[in-house]
Amino acid sequence: MAETVVTLRLNQQQLELLDRTIAQGVAPDRVSLVRLALREYAAARKSDGTSR
Amino acid sequence: MTSRQIISEFTLQPGTGKAIELLKGQILRVEQVEGGQCADFNCFNLHDYKEFMHCGRTRTVHGFHPTKGTFMWSAPPRERAMLYILEDTVGRNDVLFPRCSAYVYEASYGFAVHTNCHDIQAEAQREYGLTPDDVHDSFNLFMCTGVDQDGHAFMTRQTTKPGDHVDLLALMDVLAVPNVCGADVMKTSNFALKPLKLTVFAATDSDLAQVPKTPTLASQRTPKDFRNAVIKTDRPLRRDPAYRPEFPNTPIVVSELPIALTPEELADFNAVKRRDIYGDDDAAALRDLLFSWWEERFLQAHAGAPAIESK
Repeated sequence: MAETVVTLRLNQQQLELLDRTIAQGVAPDRVSLVRLALREYAAARKSDGTSR
Repeated sequence: MTSRQIISEFTLQPGTGKAIELLKGQILRVEQVEGGQCADFNCFNLHDYKEFMHCGRTRTVHGFHPTKGTFMWSAPPRERAMLYILEDTVGRNDVLFPRCSAYVYEASYGFAVHTNCHDIQAEAQREYGLTPDDVHDSFNLFMCTGVDQDGHAFMTRQTTKPGDHVDLLALMDVLAVPNVCGADVMKTSNFALKPLKLTVFAATDSDLAQVPKTPTLASQRTPKDFRNAVIKTDRPLRRDPAYRPEFPNTPIVVSELPIALTPEELADFNAVKRRDIYGDDDAAALRDLLFSWWEERFLQAHAGAPAIESK
């Protein structure tokens, strides 16, 4: 199954926020956190019928 | 203490203001005598006048019309709750408009001299050694305002009656400076200048118990945290040859984080990404999605405003 790689560019402050979120147990690592964000963000918009 | 003890009473005559030492645990009541009168209000830390009430911070936390149950905040980098609005019988105050000034009345109405909130504040504050440059943006009690569709702030008439009042509870020792708004040729005070009654009370235990706890954080800085804590006493600005910049968290360093999206994830991404803003820049669109999600899921305050609930 072909994957598409999107390379995020994040600064140290943005990474700190991700790491503190991970430390709360939201996701095991940065990549998983981004995947979770995508899943939840898209699901929320599918359910309310918007793309914003 | 079960009933409020009156400490002092004062009638603020039209065209005037009064600087009042309001100590922590005391309440200043600003009360309508005839009704229909706006009061402009400034407030300083009594022990350090450089800490003053900030309408900008206050409106990001509480909106354009702060009322009962909200705070007046000091400016960054202090950002402390200075006063708590314990009671507000009208519920219509303003933090959009600046104080009116002599310039407004000369430029728009042709007055060589006219009562105006800036000059009234400056004269009241002079009793404590402050200068006209120390007057800050006013919290406008009883002022009825809004924002029109073009994004301009507007003011309209008020419906306050005799006895309507706002009670401000001091959470620190402050110099509280209310004034009768000088605008008699605007709708602000229904085209007339009227007196206001000021009463200072000692707060009761019941009053004090109503105040929500606010956070105490390291970022609420005081002069002991400043690299330059000395108040400048002359007017010209001169470069400090010894200055070396020490901006926080610099340099900003960008790292790459590759995310391999499955076809299903890519489909989800394509369905929701902000192509209207980022075009084909998927990296920027995914970063936007990531932090937009974070805001939705974790942010406790309005975006850009501090959370004020104490954890």
